[in-house]
Amino acid sequence: MALWSEQKPAEDFYRVLAPDGTLVNEPPGLEEGELRELYRTMKLTKRFEDKALKLQRAGEVSIISRCRGEEATPLGAAAALEPGDWCLPLYRQRSGLVYWNVPLERQLVGLMGAEPETIDEHLPDDLEEPDVNFSPIYVPLGSNLPNTVGSALADKLNGRDTVSLTFVGDGSTSEGDFHEALNFAGVFDVPAVFVCQNNQWAISVPAHRQTASETFAQKGDAYGIPNERVDGNDIFAVYEKAKEAVDRARNGGGPTFIECVTYRIVEHNTADEPSVYRDEEQREYWLERDPIDRFEAYLLEEGVIDADTIDAMEDAIDERIDEAVEIARDVPTSSPELMFENHLRGTSWKERHQRAELQRELDGKNPFVDWTGEGFE
Amino acid sequence: MNDTRTTDGETTERNLVETINRTLADEMRNDASVRLMGYDIGPIGGVYRTTEGLYDEFGGDRVIDTPLSENGLLGTAVGMAMRGERIVPEIQFMGFFYPAFGQFMYTLVKMHERSGGAFDVPMTVRMVCGGGIKASEYHSESTETFLVHTPGVRVVYPSGPREAKGLLAASIRHDDPVVFMEHKKLYRTHREPVPEEEYTLPLDEARIARTGEDLTLISWGAMVRHAETAADRVDADVEIIDLRTLSPLDIETVLESVKKTGRCVVFHEARRTLGLGAELTAVINEYAFDRLHAPVQRATGYDVHFPGNQIEEAYLPDPERAQYAIEAVMNYEF
Repeated sequence: MALWSEQKPAEDFYRVLAPDGTLVNEPPGLEEGELRELYRTMKLTKRFEDKALKLQRAGEVSIISRCRGEEATPLGAAAALEPGDWCLPLYRQRSGLVYWNVPLERQLVGLMGAEPETIDEHLPDDLEEPDVNFSPIYVPLGSNLPNTVGSALADKLNGRDTVSLTFVGDGSTSEGDFHEALNFAGVFDVPAVFVCQNNQWAISVPAHRQTASETFAQKGDAYGIPNERVDGNDIFAVYEKAKEAVDRARNGGGPTFIECVTYRIVEHNTADEPSVYRDEEQREYWLERDPIDRFEAYLLEEGVIDADTIDAMEDAIDERIDEAVEIARDVPTSSPELMFENHLRGTSWKERHQRAELQRELDGKNPFVDWTGEGFE
Repeated sequence: MNDTRTTDGETTERNLVETINRTLADEMRNDASVRLMGYDIGPIGGVYRTTEGLYDEFGGDRVIDTPLSENGLLGTAVGMAMRGERIVPEIQFMGFFYPAFGQFMYTLVKMHERSGGAFDVPMTVRMVCGGGIKASEYHSESTETFLVHTPGVRVVYPSGPREAKGLLAASIRHDDPVVFMEHKKLYRTHREPVPEEEYTLPLDEARIARTGEDLTLISWGAMVRHAETAADRVDADVEIIDLRTLSPLDIETVLESVKKTGRCVVFHEARRTLGLGAELTAVINEYAFDRLHAPVQRATGYDVHFPGNQIEEAYLPDPERAQYAIEAVMNYEF
């Protein structure tokens, strides 16, 4: 089995930070504090997902898709945004959400399967909310992309200098939504950034089964959209190209498509077993290119962090995660009648009647004894 | 939305095309966030001319011709609506709506609910539908069942210009997503007095088009005028319900009428199996069974793909088909 899945050799891309943490290109001009924050976000994301996985094994979380090993891609892209911008993520961009402080509690209760109304009602009011606007996480792959074009077009037509950024996997570039969205984005020249998080696997199907194109990046050419192919495990490369794209969009330069080559070193989600369809050898190759390890090696070498700061940071992270878990656990289970909420404004005969039917079922009463449509007794 | 019509206002004889056109213009003048999107809606003014003159008045940022992709159109419109724009996309033929089913199901009907109400999708999809103009296959569809089966969207279906004006204004102003059905046979075949004043009509109330004591004839869209013709011809006092809004259904009005008359025919252009007549028949069975003097009958299209021009008249429900159904139900004996 090849060590990567795409048609083109994986490492033919823009890179700043080599897997051993040495520089091969000029790094972006980030302050030490910003570097530490990026590093902390990666660590927090990893440890948060480790914790969520434990909760899943214990039955508290229903299912989770981790971004382990891919942290640099969503993080580098999201970090290029400014407050007030928009992000429309899928389910494997947690490091981007963590960077902008989408509350861990909110993420956890969502993973626990609570209705959104329950989360809004029962989470503490004083949770820090993100400065970037996040849509709900999209699950049907590709469906976020046309909405991103619309978000960006709304800004353009209103003369706002806001940028909309979104993600697509290697697999979902095969969806019609992807092509339609990039086409509309090119035609309307909208301030949007499309980030392809190419982790080389769509559950069990490798990237070379998604396309005969040499790269995913080149698909941008067909739509008249500038494109880049970068090392998705290199926080500097992702950030730098995303920043260029975001700045260009903000200044009226239109959309960009960025392919970030990374690797899904973990399962698709907790219902998946990768050993059935891929070799351990491939995974080991990519483990050596881990985004956190290489950034840590660089930061240690540069003296931005040391063993003590890492220890202190990990302690603080774990404390924060434990606090979030406690708060999430305090959110009560959603009430069944919440399933009727937020469909249409106002009410209707059917909604009222079916609410009453559900309530009777919950009360152990027969819901089929209204013969007149005028209600139960 | 309430019925805001005054009773003594000035009226002008108009057809549906003119009425849609003028209502779109009114709403665009009232609210700068109202934007139209679709194919051929710009300089050409729409293939049916419903958007004629609007590009000249409001410009290309408000009357937006898009690439030819129903899914791209709907998905982009949802994204704009999520950001506070009030988007009115036009689907030129319902038979070409199906590529957009992904965005319809995943985002248009779901965004408000799955965001716990945090995101609104205030858009009105103008869906041009229906047969009877020899438009050939794929251009004559009445598949409103697909829409009505799906929660999270209103489905509104005017039976003529007067209703259309108030229903379209209400749809555009409403924060729920709406699919607004425009039967193309109605566009130019019928004129009626339409009030000049602006008004809205409720988006959840059926209209009693005619009161009667013997039988309830439930219909909507282009079939309502055929229903009236059939009612004139039969030897029975027929009550006609024009549903106006197919989702949510005005069950109160249906049940009240059927309990009074004890007989019911549902009359629709769409195919029969799982057409809305099936749901109405089920509801009447569940809640008015012991008031019925006869089974509910459905006078509908057949369970076939819409046929070619030469035989489309044989497919389409007409006054005669409604008349047969009414007479059968009136003559039924237990």
